Amino acid sequence: MDWHGVATHAGARERWKAFVASRQDELGSFLQFDPALGAVDSASSGPLAGVPFAVKDNIAVRGFRLTCGSRMLRDFVSPYSATAVERLQKAGGIVAGKANLDEFGMGSSTENSALMVTRNPWDPGRVPGGSSGGPAAAVAAGLAAFGLGSDTGGSVRQPAAFCGIYGLKPTWGAVSRFGLVAYASSLEVIGVMAKTVDMTEKAFAVMRGEDPRDQSSLAWQPAPLRKGKLSIGVPRECADVPMHADVRKTFEKTRRTLKELGHEVREVSFPTLDHVVSSYYVIATAEASANLARFDGVRYGHRAAHADTPEAMTIASRTEGLGPEVKLRILLGTYVLRSGFQDEYYLRAQKIRTAIRMDFQKAFEGVDLVLMPVYPVPPFQRGSADADPFMQKLADIFTCAANLAGLPALSFPAAVEAALPIGMQFLAPAFGEDLLFSICRQLEKGFPSPDAPGFPAGWK
Amino acid sequence: MDASELAITARMARLSLTKEELEKLGVAVEQMLQHFSHMKEIDIQGLAPTTHALLRENRLREDAENGPALSDTLLGNAPEREERFIVIPNVL
Repeated sequence: MDWHGVATHAGARERWKAFVASRQDELGSFLQFDPALGAVDSASSGPLAGVPFAVKDNIAVRGFRLTCGSRMLRDFVSPYSATAVERLQKAGGIVAGKANLDEFGMGSSTENSALMVTRNPWDPGRVPGGSSGGPAAAVAAGLAAFGLGSDTGGSVRQPAAFCGIYGLKPTWGAVSRFGLVAYASSLEVIGVMAKTVDMTEKAFAVMRGEDPRDQSSLAWQPAPLRKGKLSIGVPRECADVPMHADVRKTFEKTRRTLKELGHEVREVSFPTLDHVVSSYYVIATAEASANLARFDGVRYGHRAAHADTPEAMTIASRTEGLGPEVKLRILLGTYVLRSGFQDEYYLRAQKIRTAIRMDFQKAFEGVDLVLMPVYPVPPFQRGSADADPFMQKLADIFTCAANLAGLPALSFPAAVEAALPIGMQFLAPAFGEDLLFSICRQLEKGFPSPDAPGFPAGWK
Repeated sequence: MDASELAITARMARLSLTKEELEKLGVAVEQMLQHFSHMKEIDIQGLAPTTHALLRENRLREDAENGPALSDTLLGNAPEREERFIVIPNVL
C-alpha cells in the first residue's frame, strides 16, 4: 500500500479519516486522533510527504496531549516535540495521533492504560501486546503507515509480534530520547513498527543520529553490511524456556527457512539467559523509581484536591494519579535501591548485565546474527485469563536481553497459527540495523506481514 | 518482605497505600523478590557493573540560547497558579 500523500491529498485524507473513525470504537488504538493538528509542523515535501504515523503517547508532539496512559498526565499538553518526531515531520511525515500504551510503558498488554482499552485487530478478545499496543494495533489495522513506540524491555517488538507486523528496537542511543517520557533511561529507545521492512527502515533512517538535546544519543555509525551467506546463532538455552507449541513450531520453521535461503544456522551459548529477567526488572524498576519521582503534583500533572502541606499534596497526588502496576514497579525500585539492599539487588543486577553483554560479545565473534522468539506465547486473552501479570514479566525473557546489552533487534512476522500471528526476532551487534533489514527482507519475500481481518482498508 | 518493610518503602516512594493495596502489592512485590533471589546463583566474581551499554563521554555545547522559550506553555500545565507563580499549600 502506498501511504504517500494519504494525509495531505483531500480525497484520500477524507477516506482514510472515515476508515480510522470506523475502527476506533472497536480497536481503541488512538487516545487522540487529530491529523489536522499533526500537519501543522510538517514539511510539504520529503521522503515521507503526507505519510501519516501513530505516536505512542509517551512521546511528545507539540500541541498534543502527552498522557502516558496515566491519570497523572491525562490533561498534560506537550509544549514541544520529541526530536524523533521533529525529524519525521521535517521529512514530510504527519502525526495522525497519539496511541494507547500501558501506563508509562509498564506492561505487555496495554491493559495497564488508565485511559482506554485497546484490542488486537486479529481477535478483539485478545490483547494487542504492550506496552506499545496502540501504535501496533493502528498499523496492523491499516490506520497508520507506521508507528513510533518505545522499547524498554520489548515494548516495540512484542506488540509488533502480537499484531503481525515488524518492530525495530534500535541500538541504544541511535535515536534521540529527547521528548520521550523517561521510564528506564539506560534501557529504552524509540523504535518503529510497520507493515513492511521498507517502511520500518525508511522511518528509522529519518529518525536516527546524534542530537545535542540528548547527551546519550550517538552518531549513526553503521556496521559494514555483510552480504551473501550469513551465520545465524540460536541460543541453545532457548530450548529450556517453556514455550507454547505454536511458538516452538514457528521457531523451528524459521530455522529451516533460513537454511533453505542458504544461511548457516548453528547453536550458540547464552548461559545468562536464565538471569536476564531478574537483572532487567531490578534495573528497570530502580530507574523507574527515580524517573517517576518527578510526578509530585506541583508544576504539572494531577494534583490532589485537598492537602495541608506540600508533602501531603505530593503523596496524595501520586497515590491518586498512578495505577497499580506503576506503584508496584516504583515500590520494587525503591526497595532495591534502599541502603542495605543495594548490593544484593541493584549492584548485582548491574554485574549480571555485564555478564549478559559478554555472552553476546562472545556469540557475535562466531555469528552475524542471533535468532530468538519474541515472546513464549501467542497473543493472550484480555483480562489476564491465560497470562497473569507475573507470568507476563517472566515472558520478557527473549526481549529484554537486547535492552540490557544495548543491541538492535528486529521482530518480524513469521507465521500465522490458529488465526494468530507469531513473531520471531533477530539481534545484531551494535549499529547492525542494516543487516537486520537485509535478512528480514529476504524472509519477507516468502512471508510478508499477514493482513489482519479487516485490513484491506476501505479508503484505499 | 514483611508488611512494615513494605510500608516504609511506600513512604520513601511518596505513596500512601490502603490496607487492601498493601496486601495486594505485597504479594506481587514478594513474588518478584523471590524471583530476584535467583540472582545469587550466578557467579559475578570480578565483573564490573554496567550502568549503560554504550555510553560516550560528556559533550559540551556553546552556552547560547537554544530553541524557543517555553515558559508560557509550561506554566499552562500548572495545576494552580497566580500569574506566573505556581501555588502550593503553605510550607510554613
